[in-house]
Amino acid sequence: MLRNYFKIAFRNLLRNKGFSFINISGLAMGMASAILILMWIQHEFSYDKFHEKKDRIYQMWNRSVFDGKLQSWDFTPKVLGKTLKQEMPDIQEVSRVEIRSPFLLIVGDNKLRVPGGFVDPGFLTMFSFPVLKGDAKTALNNVYSIVITEKLAKSLFNDDNPIGKTIRIENKDNFIVTGLVKSPPTNSRFQFEYLLPWAYLTKIGWDDDYWGNNSTNTFIELKPHVNAEAFSTKVKDFTIKHSKGQEQNELFLHPLTKLRLYTQFEGKIAGGRIDLVKIFGLLAVFILVIACINFMNLSTARSEKRAKEVGIRKVVGAEKSTLIGQFLGESIMLAFIAGVFALALVQFFLPLFNSITDKQLTVQYTDIRFWIFLVSFILFTGVLAGSYPAFYLSAFQPVRVLKGVLKAAHTSFSPRKVLVVIQFAIAIVLIISTLFIKKQILFSQDRETGYSKDNLIYHFLTEDLVKKYPLIKNELLNSGAAVSVCKTSAPITEGWSNSWGFEWKGKDPKSKIIFNRFCVDDDLTKTIGLTITQGRDINLKEFPTDSTACLLSESAVRIMGFKDPIGQIVKDNSIDWHVVGVIKDFVLQSPFENTQPMVIEGAKGWFNVIHIKLNNANSTAQNIKTAEQIFKKYNFQFPFEYQFIDQEYAKKFNDAERTSKLISLFAALTIIISCMGLFGLATYMAENRIKEIGVRKVLGASVINITALLSKDFLKLIVIAILIASPIAYWAMSKWLQTFSYHINMQWWIFIASGILSILIAFSTVSYQAIKAAMANPVKSLRTE
Amino acid sequence: MIKISNLEKIYRTEDVETVALNKVSFDVKEGEFVAIMGPSGCGKSTLLNILGLLDDPDGGSFVFAGQEVAHYNERKRAGLRKQHIGFVFQSFNLIDELTVYENVELPLLYLKVGADERKKRVEEVLEKMQIMHRKNHFPQQLSGGQQQRVAVARAVVNRPRLILADEPTGNLDSINGNEVMQMLTELNDAGTTVIMVTHSEHDARYSHRIVRMLDGQVVLENVMI
Ligand SMILES: Nc1ncnc2c1ncn2[C@@H]1O[C@H](COP(=O)(O)OP(=O)(O)OP(=O)(O)O)[C@@H](O)[C@H]1O
Ligand SMILES: [Mg+2]
Repeated sequence: MLRNYFKIAFRNLLRNKGFSFINISGLAMGMASAILILMWIQHEFSYDKFHEKKDRIYQMWNRSVFDGKLQSWDFTPKVLGKTLKQEMPDIQEVSRVEIRSPFLLIVGDNKLRVPGGFVDPGFLTMFSFPVLKGDAKTALNNVYSIVITEKLAKSLFNDDNPIGKTIRIENKDNFIVTGLVKSPPTNSRFQFEYLLPWAYLTKIGWDDDYWGNNSTNTFIELKPHVNAEAFSTKVKDFTIKHSKGQEQNELFLHPLTKLRLYTQFEGKIAGGRIDLVKIFGLLAVFILVIACINFMNLSTARSEKRAKEVGIRKVVGAEKSTLIGQFLGESIMLAFIAGVFALALVQFFLPLFNSITDKQLTVQYTDIRFWIFLVSFILFTGVLAGSYPAFYLSAFQPVRVLKGVLKAAHTSFSPRKVLVVIQFAIAIVLIISTLFIKKQILFSQDRETGYSKDNLIYHFLTEDLVKKYPLIKNELLNSGAAVSVCKTSAPITEGWSNSWGFEWKGKDPKSKIIFNRFCVDDDLTKTIGLTITQGRDINLKEFPTDSTACLLSESAVRIMGFKDPIGQIVKDNSIDWHVVGVIKDFVLQSPFENTQPMVIEGAKGWFNVIHIKLNNANSTAQNIKTAEQIFKKYNFQFPFEYQFIDQEYAKKFNDAERTSKLISLFAALTIIISCMGLFGLATYMAENRIKEIGVRKVLGASVINITALLSKDFLKLIVIAILIASPIAYWAMSKWLQTFSYHINMQWWIFIASGILSILIAFSTVSYQAIKAAMANPVKSLRTE
Repeated sequence: MIKISNLEKIYRTEDVETVALNKVSFDVKEGEFVAIMGPSGCGKSTLLNILGLLDDPDGGSFVFAGQEVAHYNERKRAGLRKQHIGFVFQSFNLIDELTVYENVELPLLYLKVGADERKKRVEEVLEKMQIMHRKNHFPQQLSGGQQQRVAVARAVVNRPRLILADEPTGNLDSINGNEVMQMLTELNDAGTTVIMVTHSEHDARYSHRIVRMLDGQVVLENVMI
């Protein structure tokens, strides 16, 4: 029997090559997209699930109410980790993790700057990064020990055994390699090439015991059978108690396995990256459904051709269930063929997909679970696509079909039309969303940043550079490479510090409004190009007392309620900063968010970065070369590692652009797949009405009349789809836009443009067949009866 | 073997009601060859479809091989159909995508007959219908007469007790038509009950008895001598 089904299925496939092509390629495209997205989702879900103790490891988070809003964040005091370990017997192990210090590693002439940082010695036993050489328990016990990955070992020592070798760090201290670990897999939040003991951080004076300085990540491993919730209650007041009420942050535990996807809290876990994962999951479902709808529509449209077969099979004794089985089997077979093509497409498009998503996904051909997934996915698709046609076809009454009375009446409501409407509604929602996302990104890119980004570079200050900064600044200016130089606490594209602890006259003692904190020596406006709206810039040469001067942003002035800000005192870190000027707000962090109020403190602050405004009179390359020579002169051990501010700023859009690219890609795909289905339906319709068209032409209808007649039915469906899609897209987009404080408003032209666009696309798809049918010679078509 | 009484069938469309069968009653005995005749639209095909369990009546009783089947559901009807009944249509009704051999084999597949037995039986009937040499052809590659022979082969391959033929010679010339009638007669001689709808007095003469219908009713039964 199965063989009989196969034969019928294959012969049908070959007989209707056009339909088969549309069916299989549409399904293959849909399946390939869904597989790619599912691989992406799987990767997102797999983050840090490989750690053996994953269910016992938690990150410590803080929460507190600011400005009436409950905020949660994962930075904790440095002192928290060790205190927890001392005082809480439920804890097995603790590690603070500070993988944000890219030191320069030196071995001979080999100098490298790779990601790495400080951890407590327990890190290697808590987390499952396989230790290939050395002892996980003791590798980081010594202050001058370093654990490196295979990859780093290879680039520093080739294939030599790295254990016992020396690495010099920042031209300051020598470290002995005590451990070799496997490089972290891509699905880990910890991406490091080397690990240093926390003790070294303490040694160089970066540690502190201040409960108010939330500056590092703390991970804990609970002892087996310790109830995390009970433990959470126990440590809730830990910081409050230890700071004697000075700090009001509550501690809570966030499971390691949820760190990647859940980062927002409203009392309990509320969202985060999981929202994006859900959106893409929905996208996968949509694309697959659209491809399956093609299959359903084409199969049922062609049903008249299969009706006779159904009738005969029933006459000779087939039961309905047998026929359902046969047609389901057929669609599953088709799904398998499509699945093979889909796999090829996945393989082919994976590099592109990886580059868009910034991932390194691979198809796990050797993993049995992948094949189980693939086969179940194909079966699922086959059943999804085949179920409706199977029930539709198997319901035919033999008495009627064999008599040939099955000319499906032209009813106003047919499932096929409903399916086309669904397809296009989804496609239109995606078109509208794509346009909105693109528009929102453009809007934020066009945003006035408030400073001048071009010809501006920055360089991190190493210890040598801090000492020689005045000399370097002088030489840069004298050489003509730079027109202005200043040092700051952070790059102008990043906010590294904020606080609600500023004090000023008239402050509401309960106020917890957060201000960004930034420091500069002088020449800030000249270098960065900020706008002073009141008073003057900080100027150390003319006003030596400016080392405790400060600038306020306009929104800071507003919030502090100063009528006359100049001369006011703002207290921070026990220093009285006197306001000398007010600057216009500028974009420090996210271009998608409104600017936060800001206090810019003078030379008494702390400094990490040097900003250099290059001289327009010379070529950039020349300026860079001159600057490099000057840096090398004073800082000869270190490479000249500068960043262009405009490039750094552009990076802020990477994530959004990635999402936008993916959504437009899949929107295009849904349109293509939907149009393939529409094309198939139009072909079928033209075939079916060939006689009617012939008669009409004989009676005098023009080609235009007939094209309009044939296209009208389809365009009606598209219009309905637009009407359904627009409110859905409106709802989704207004929700999405609200996630940005700096966003575009609802723009009606986008809806109208998407509507017109989809009508045009649908019309060009349908009109080919319509015109072809309309142009056919009526004598010929009438003879076909 | 068949006993129908007061059988009714009414077709309802939105505004018209057609009484296709109006209290039809008659019997057919095992081994009989019955011809049904009457003008177009008098309900012959409707009656035959009900007798063949393809359609259900709206009223009356239908006893087939001792069981009342008028109220049977689709499943039970399909079961009886594949066991006991073979059909021959005016328009042959072969599946275009299957070869001659595969078309004839189909009923046996639904009866779940084993492969060896199937091959034996299919070849046997193809031989008998003198169509063996065409067994790998597709229906469209055959003449009308050949197609009808394949249809008859398919109707008898499951060794049914009853063969229903709806104008089996309607699309054939007289030579091919006679050949088909010859086959039906041979089958009847071998013990199979045959009920045939026909417009041809000539063909009707092959039967034992003619049932004449008019407007959904049986008006006359003549027994052939
Ligand atoms: N599906 C249907 N819906 C409505 N009326 C029907 C349907 N099938 C048949 N009829 C009507 O029932 C009556 C009997 O039809 P039937 O097909 O049995 O006639 P017939 O005797 O076989 O005619 P012919 O010799 O032309 O084949 C006719 O009036 C026909 O119009
Ligand atoms: Mg008839």
